[in-house]
Amino acid sequence: MLPNSLLQRMVKWCPWLLRDEPKQPVKVLVTGAAGQIGYAIVAMIARGQMLGPDQPVVLHMLDLPRMADALNGVRMELVDAALPLLRGRVLAAGVVATSDEAEAFKGVNFAVLIGGWPRKEGMERKDLIAKNVAIYRGQASALQQHAAPNCKVLVVANPANTNALVLKEFAPAIPAKNITCLTRLDHNRALGQISEKLGVHVGDVKNAVVWGNHSSTQFPDASHATVRNEQGEKPVRELVSDKTWLREEFVSVVQQRGAAVIKARKQSSSLSAASSACDHMRDWVLGTPKGTWVSMGVYSDGSYGVPKGIFYSFPVTCDKGEWSIVQGLQVDDFARSKMELSAKELEEEKAIADEFVSIERD
Amino acid sequence: MAKEPMRVLVTGAAGQIGYALVPMIARGIMLGADQPVILHMLDIPPAAESLNGVKMELVDAAFPLLKGVVATTDVVEACTGVNVAVMVGGFPRKEGMERKDVMSKNVSIYKAQASALEAHAAPNCKVLVVANPANTNALILKEFAPSIPEKNITCLTRLDHNRALGQISERLSVQVSDVKNVIIWGNHSSTQYPDVNHATVKTSSGEKPVRELVADDEWLNGEFIKTVQQRGAAIIKARKLSSALSAASSACDHIRDWVLGTPEGTFVSMGVYSDGSYGVPAGLIYSFPVTCSGGEWKIVQGLPIDELSRKKMDDTAQELSEEKTLAYSCLE
Repeated sequence: MLPNSLLQRMVKWCPWLLRDEPKQPVKVLVTGAAGQIGYAIVAMIARGQMLGPDQPVVLHMLDLPRMADALNGVRMELVDAALPLLRGRVLAAGVVATSDEAEAFKGVNFAVLIGGWPRKEGMERKDLIAKNVAIYRGQASALQQHAAPNCKVLVVANPANTNALVLKEFAPAIPAKNITCLTRLDHNRALGQISEKLGVHVGDVKNAVVWGNHSSTQFPDASHATVRNEQGEKPVRELVSDKTWLREEFVSVVQQRGAAVIKARKQSSSLSAASSACDHMRDWVLGTPKGTWVSMGVYSDGSYGVPKGIFYSFPVTCDKGEWSIVQGLQVDDFARSKMELSAKELEEEKAIADEFVSIERD
Repeated sequence: MAKEPMRVLVTGAAGQIGYALVPMIARGIMLGADQPVILHMLDIPPAAESLNGVKMELVDAAFPLLKGVVATTDVVEACTGVNVAVMVGGFPRKEGMERKDVMSKNVSIYKAQASALEAHAAPNCKVLVVANPANTNALILKEFAPSIPEKNITCLTRLDHNRALGQISERLSVQVSDVKNVIIWGNHSSTQYPDVNHATVKTSSGEKPVRELVADDEWLNGEFIKTVQQRGAAIIKARKLSSALSAASSACDHIRDWVLGTPEGTFVSMGVYSDGSYGVPAGLIYSFPVTCSGGEWKIVQGLPIDELSRKKMDDTAQELSEEKTLAYSCLE
């Protein structure tokens, strides 16, 4: 095994020599790992769905002390599954299961923050803010102190955008661009709804946009989406004969899908959330396909008239490990009003969060 | 040229293992990253809404390989045209419950499923029974679906096999992918025999026998065996739920190796219809070491069996014969 410093110099100056060298393991943290989404996602990460089938992974799993037995059960199952990608550099141990934040965050290259207060049937998002501000403030410290440089963070726990904001505020050493929140689930849901409406395969649908908050004010926008058929790429808005569907039913179904799944399953979406979190991270790290964008909750730079200083979902492309907002998309009055509504909600959430933060400070 | 989709049935799809398994299938872990799939999901009417929730989530995840989802409580619709059937549906084991406790509940389920599969599945459908008691459920299925070739009906012991690999890798502090050729003989129960006599570890100086590297026969013949045998119960104790993640993952491994072949020099464990190999009574579904090629499994022959192994292999065969008798008595 080559020492890391030598490897880094070789990667820079003569990458061809490393052609056949297996990849070094990376460390991936999952918080709330003993919960439902955690259970789904660790299996996916260990199979290479997040970072590629050739990328070995050391999984760090964090949960509360009272979940220690359950978390250990998850660790045992990961060992039992004999997964080839789950391996460390030295001791071969591919899984760390802990309730200690410092140990959990130590040296991690990727952090998926699922731990938080879960949404139950009937619960309002704003109810969650109070409970989660304290959690995310603590996580921010641990992240800043212990994670590897350039750690990429994905916040999943709701209220995702505002949790990401609290994290950013309390981890000033972490570049804002490295903190994101999950709206890829909504984006994938939007693609799914379009595919069902048009009777096409979801793999042929792309470039929906989810603007704003991962909440019921999100704006799923199909106006730039396309479908690949025998004649090439066609705009969805041309193929859908019912023009009101795009503005009404499509929007409300996607906005409320989380609640619909809870109603059917009596539990929050786990499978689809976990899968979408893998998609989010994978595209961020490995890049989006040419001509395709995805939706990510990112720190707003004011694009499209969205206020700065909040985490807002935008259309992005990813290349060489960096995301960038797709600029220049047409936004009509209808879209503008929806986008502003979601921005307004995010500013309100921010104000509520700020209140709790200052209560904590005192 | 894209492959034609394969239809994969999962019964008990609204349950824990089903929920872990369906996204794995939809991502190509079971049949390969280039094999489109159509998922058929079956569960009982009380679970219909929950099952629909799973279907919704599969749509929501926008899986490129998933060409369709059928979510149904109708066993005929579920079985129609399926190329692979993973039978997870059955009575789940809870903390404290012995495998035999669930026997009678499952016998009638598997008799009914056998008829439906026989009548409606695609020719050469490959069947994997997961629901416990897996070996005996598979036997019932075989008995009541006589037109399904007996070689196409198997049960899951790959979970135990993978657990054995995991235990050795932890003991030796090596990558689990460097350990191979353990064998699980017999019943997917506490009488299974995890056998390391032919297992090896890849080291910098080549393949070395596990027994040599561990250098602790007392552990290998004692605690190691017990740990693997009772791992299911240990998971239930920790999680308060049965293994789902590892069961689903191992089910994918079982089917994948069966369909796509085992690597050169490697064998795996599968519960298959005994042909009398190794002195195991014919007419039981018994876990053997197998290699797979061209979509067929074949028992690895000629492995030397020592006295200790013989006894353990016979004990688990005995339990399976007893389960078979018990199962048949439930049918009267």
